[in-house]
Amino acid sequence: MGPLIELVHVRREFDGGRIVAVADVSLSVEHGESVAIIGPSGSGKSTVLNLLCGLDQPSGGEVRFEGKAVHGPRAWAEVRADHIGFVFQNFCLIPTLTAKENVEVAMLGRIAGAAKRAERAVSLLTSLGLGERLHLKPMKLSGGERQRVAIARALANEPRLIVADEPTGALDRKSAHAIMDILTGLQRDTRTALVIVTHDREVADTCGRKIEMVDGRIVNGPATGIVHAVAGGAR
Amino acid sequence: MNELTLPLRNLAGQPIRTFLTTLGIAVAIAGYVALTGLTQGVQQNFAGGIGDQGGDLMVSERNSFSIISSSVPEELGPSLKAVPGVADVSGTLINIASADNNANIVISGWPDGSFLWQGVKLASGRLPQPSDEWPVVLGSTIANGLQKKVGDTVELQFQDFTVVGIADFDSVLNQNIALVPLKKLQGLLGREDSVTLFQVRLDRPLDPQKVAVAKEDLQKAAPGNQVSDSEEFGNSIRFFSLIRAIASTVSLVVMAMAALAIANTLLMAVTERTFEIGILASLGWRPVRILRLILVEGLIMSVVGGIIGLGLGILAMDVVSKAGVAAGLMEPYLTSGIIVEAILAALLAGPIGALYPAWRATRLVPAEALRRT
Ligand SMILES: Nc1ncnc2c1ncn2[C@@H]1O[C@H](COP(=O)(O)OP(=O)(O)OP(=O)(O)O)[C@@H](O)[C@H]1O
Ligand SMILES: [Mg+2]
Repeated sequence: MGPLIELVHVRREFDGGRIVAVADVSLSVEHGESVAIIGPSGSGKSTVLNLLCGLDQPSGGEVRFEGKAVHGPRAWAEVRADHIGFVFQNFCLIPTLTAKENVEVAMLGRIAGAAKRAERAVSLLTSLGLGERLHLKPMKLSGGERQRVAIARALANEPRLIVADEPTGALDRKSAHAIMDILTGLQRDTRTALVIVTHDREVADTCGRKIEMVDGRIVNGPATGIVHAVAGGAR
Repeated sequence: MNELTLPLRNLAGQPIRTFLTTLGIAVAIAGYVALTGLTQGVQQNFAGGIGDQGGDLMVSERNSFSIISSSVPEELGPSLKAVPGVADVSGTLINIASADNNANIVISGWPDGSFLWQGVKLASGRLPQPSDEWPVVLGSTIANGLQKKVGDTVELQFQDFTVVGIADFDSVLNQNIALVPLKKLQGLLGREDSVTLFQVRLDRPLDPQKVAVAKEDLQKAAPGNQVSDSEEFGNSIRFFSLIRAIASTVSLVVMAMAALAIANTLLMAVTERTFEIGILASLGWRPVRILRLILVEGLIMSVVGGIIGLGLGILAMDVVSKAGVAAGLMEPYLTSGIIVEAILAALLAGPIGALYPAWRATRLVPAEALRRT
């Protein structure tokens, strides 16, 4: 089995080339591995993560999902809906929807039957310890709880990849630990690949591979997960 | 949760804005229904009322601008009556005036001995006699409205008439009519030897073939005039076409304004909810799905507005048709055609107004949208 996702000489400029957020990055992520992206603020970590899942389009180079280059918002929407889950620092929950509905919204159009969607949302939230919080809107939840709703939503369509941009950035130490335990546990138990952007050394150390970025380039760490790929491919 | 949960939540999240926009649509639809219904009602009222008086065909001035501006020489009568298949003809002079300087009233002058008088169902009193000086038979609705009974006096066309009878008719026009002898009305209007139209009664039994032949022969006997049944008669009056055109134009403008209101509301909503739309996009909602979300929000407002508007429009028609200026001239006229058109207009206004905002929503780059916090 080839890599899950690959960035091939990807570049991203803003303001007509005046800002180069990502200069030239090649990176591949294997099925089931965990990768941490670290680096100073403004080094292009979030931009790489966005390019990795088509939330943003590169100015140059290409992104491949399971060996196939993906182009354009429509194709990326399909890939994200079926294979990628997100966790963001600011949770990104829809304020007018309850915890349960926030999870269900990811399944609309993907899993047929409202009852089925509801059942899955409840079971995911319950497994993350939110069984009592199903019908509360995000405003009524703590930061840690919100992030667990976001994780439940990310898992709704059984993704092959979870991308997380500073998932613990807005949380206290205790909640941060709990969230990291959930994410690394998932990666370990379900072989879901995990790409996580973080400032936190401790968080980065829990990942199988660490990549460091400075000024829009990878300066440290293996750009491919060969070792892991062999292990993953043998499965 | 289903496909409607999110659009409904979004609309409920801004209750006042949603309410005002929906109300805007309701008012537009109400305006459309009332304008169209009333203008068609005026025409229907006249055409139906004149058809209800006992004639099968009418001979009137070709392309006359309004009913009361039609003029046909009275001397045409005998040659019309000589047409085969014609049982009887009666000249009719019509005018709209005020009764006792108050309500609108249609005055119709019929000749002594006209067959039209035989169709009058008297509720009380009697028909005019040649010996009466200024006799009038009132329709029962206007008699009620003016609180007149047999023996009372009513001022019509600046002349005091004595109520000799009160009659029941089926049509609103005739319920509000004043029937007087033709000669008296001709005198008052200065239109001696002229009538508005001839009512033509054909031999019984009526069959379409015979009606068509008689119509052709009548046309030959009355060159320069037009022979029509009551519906064709209504359609031929240019005044009616004019008010229908005015009503359509006003309705169109009002509907366009409703669509703009929706566009404005949803554009605001899309701008405010950029972040949320970014979330949906990041979850893999395809652009068409996001487009549909916004269109559905527009559609919900326009459907609800349309239904409320239909009710308001019917109510408005009722109120206007009973109000002083219009009473007796207009009747609410609600056809399934008007209802279907109103609902179609509402169904279109929503999505048309929502189209641009929805398109804008699909153009958002998720990464950009999600930066906005
Ligand atoms: N949409 C944009 N328009 C203009 N400049 C942008 C845009 N997105 C990112 N940038 C710039 O690109 C550079 C990299 O941004 P990015 O968000 O990827 O950094 P980061 O490594 O995630 O930083 P942080 O750790 O602070 O989150 C920054 O200089 C940023 O200002
Ligand atoms: Mg960042």
